[in-house]
Amino acid sequence: MGKLWTVIRREYVERVRSKWFVIVTLFGPLFFGTVMVLPGYLSVRAMREARVANIRIIDATGAGLGARVAWRLAPTPLQGDAQAVAEVDTVAPDDVAAAEAALLGQIQQRTLVGVLTVDATTLQAGTARYMGRNAGSVGEVQAIESAIKQALIGSGMEAAGIATAQADALLRLRVRVSAERVTDEGKGGSGLANTIFGFGVAFLLYFSIVFYGQAILRGVLEEKTTRVAEVIVASVKPDVLLAGKVIGVGSVGLTQQLVWLASGVGFYTQRGRILDLLGMEGMPPLPMPSIEAPVLVALVLFFLLGYTLYASLFAAVGAMVGSQEEAQQAAQPVIMLLVFSIIFAQPVLTNPTSRLAEVMSWIPFSAPIIMPMRMTATPVSWTEIFLSLVGVALASAACVWLAARIYRVGLLMYGKRMSFATIMEIIRLRRSD
Amino acid sequence: MTETALEIRGVAKRYAAHVAVRDLSLTVPAGAVYGLLGPNGAGKTTTIRMILNIIAPDEGTIRVLGRPNTETVVLDRLGYLPEERGLYKTMVVRDVLRFLGALKGVGTREADRRIDEWLDRLSLRSDAKDWGKAKVEELSRGMQQKVQFIGTLLHDPELVILDEPFSGLDPINAQALKDTVVDLKRRGRTVIFSTHLMDNAERLCDAVCIIARGEKVLDGTVAGVKAAAGDRTVALALEGSADPAVMAVLQDPALVARLDDRSRSFEVTMPEGADPQVLLTRLIGAGARIQRFERVQPSLHQIFLDRVGATGVEPGMSGHG
Repeated sequence: MGKLWTVIRREYVERVRSKWFVIVTLFGPLFFGTVMVLPGYLSVRAMREARVANIRIIDATGAGLGARVAWRLAPTPLQGDAQAVAEVDTVAPDDVAAAEAALLGQIQQRTLVGVLTVDATTLQAGTARYMGRNAGSVGEVQAIESAIKQALIGSGMEAAGIATAQADALLRLRVRVSAERVTDEGKGGSGLANTIFGFGVAFLLYFSIVFYGQAILRGVLEEKTTRVAEVIVASVKPDVLLAGKVIGVGSVGLTQQLVWLASGVGFYTQRGRILDLLGMEGMPPLPMPSIEAPVLVALVLFFLLGYTLYASLFAAVGAMVGSQEEAQQAAQPVIMLLVFSIIFAQPVLTNPTSRLAEVMSWIPFSAPIIMPMRMTATPVSWTEIFLSLVGVALASAACVWLAARIYRVGLLMYGKRMSFATIMEIIRLRRSD
Repeated sequence: MTETALEIRGVAKRYAAHVAVRDLSLTVPAGAVYGLLGPNGAGKTTTIRMILNIIAPDEGTIRVLGRPNTETVVLDRLGYLPEERGLYKTMVVRDVLRFLGALKGVGTREADRRIDEWLDRLSLRSDAKDWGKAKVEELSRGMQQKVQFIGTLLHDPELVILDEPFSGLDPINAQALKDTVVDLKRRGRTVIFSTHLMDNAERLCDAVCIIARGEKVLDGTVAGVKAAAGDRTVALALEGSADPAVMAVLQDPALVARLDDRSRSFEVTMPEGADPQVLLTRLIGAGARIQRFERVQPSLHQIFLDRVGATGVEPGMSGHG
């Protein structure tokens, strides 16, 4: 036990200290920070700066529609300061062409973003003309359309005798649909959020298994090529060395994911405060996936078992080959198994109740990635989850057994790559050497 | 301390393509420096790996320090320097040594004390530079060998096993190794080393075992082995180089069974029943100017060649051991 601990400690400490671990681990918080804060920040800034203040409106309606549109375009109507409201030039219908021509030069000189012209046809048929550098932006043109529409409705309501304030209140009415997920247990939650979470989990598992599985391969190969292995196996059994390696490297992976999880939760709960600090108030909260504790336990089990399964396969590959170049080639079949799983992530996610999704979450090699995704995206019966876990556990036990045999012999075979025949011979060997 | 450091009884190890070791038995008394001699591919490394329980024998038993070598506690009292040497390249020297110590049950504090001692002793640490703080890859090959050596001895093992320890060593490190072996013996430790360099073995060993083709050829104390080989050996030295007439005498099968020709000095093994007196007379008759003519015990090298032959390697037995 003491020796196992010694091996685990070395694997863990040496890896956690490395600069790559620090960089990759810090990538998590950076990613979450970016995803949760940046889009909100950017959209608010863009709205403020470019769109409204630098648009000129030419009003040839004679009914003051331009002022109404300018007012609608402002980011926070009624509270908006004077500068955030677009300027309106009121002109006679005959002078429109001259006014547009004059402002066109300003757009070319970049002192103006665009010019919106409203006239009698706007009042009658709802058509208007916009020229601007941002005319290609669907979102911004839609915002202008929506502002004109609201201005028209507003003036229409006033014409029908509704007080200005009342009309305003009606126009600012916002509708938002929150989609609730219904499961057998009747629990709610956001459907989209669950899908995103499911994909996140699957990708994280895939990434961790590939990344740390290959770390094990490189570690085994290093011990083999530097001949350190020979000194170590004179002190500990190869099985202990293998176990220590798998546990040590796995702990590094768990540490990393813990940091990522903590930063994700941290950014999620503190998002409002951070946005407030950046001067953006009233951003809608992010939808939260609904994950029950047992599901979380199953996710952790899938990770641990899936990682063990692939880690032992990678370790066996490392023990089989004699150089980095050979390792790349020999690891291909193992990597193919993983790629095969992630290739089907998209169809499984879009249709988590399909036959494909069911089968993929039953095969032990793809289950550790597909089942967690499926069970967060759609309700899966506990019996099915349990049986899938048992399947992965059995397969991973078989892989560990197989890897230990190959590892014991391969570790001290220098300079030559094991042939398939040798491997079969090792597997059949009865003695423990 | 037990009287016997190592006892191997009837050990055999077979691989699919060949037999690495067959029916090997040997005993190493405690406190001895013991040489395991043999040509490349004789089964030395396989034997050593079986002693360390890295691989299991197909037949036979091995007892180390009075206990079966399958007991883990026994392995902690062994120190092993493999023929193929290496360390974790990116690790700091002190951390590597702490790790190797911990694998043998030495705590960090005690390990640090011993590491300091060793670093000073092998001049890996001075006021100017402490190589203990450097990464292994920053060290020269010679320094890495020293570190490896410290790793082997850090837990103060009772039985030290060195596989081809002199291969790849520069003269300074080779001397340091010899000094350390002598020091270990003085402190009552047992040292077993394998080598194919007979000169080193003859100088350092109390007892030897010569193996070839996976089998024991002979074993015993160095003195005993030499005495048993008889006194048919003559050490001969000439003034100037030997002319054809002298060489003709030295190639006469009636007088010379084997000749180790070192140009001006020769180790002559005479056939059974031949008279050295006749050889001396014939040499003088041929005009040889003799500097030295002495009946001596054969060198281990000579015994080895006599008993094993020039190659001693079976086809298909190349590789380790």
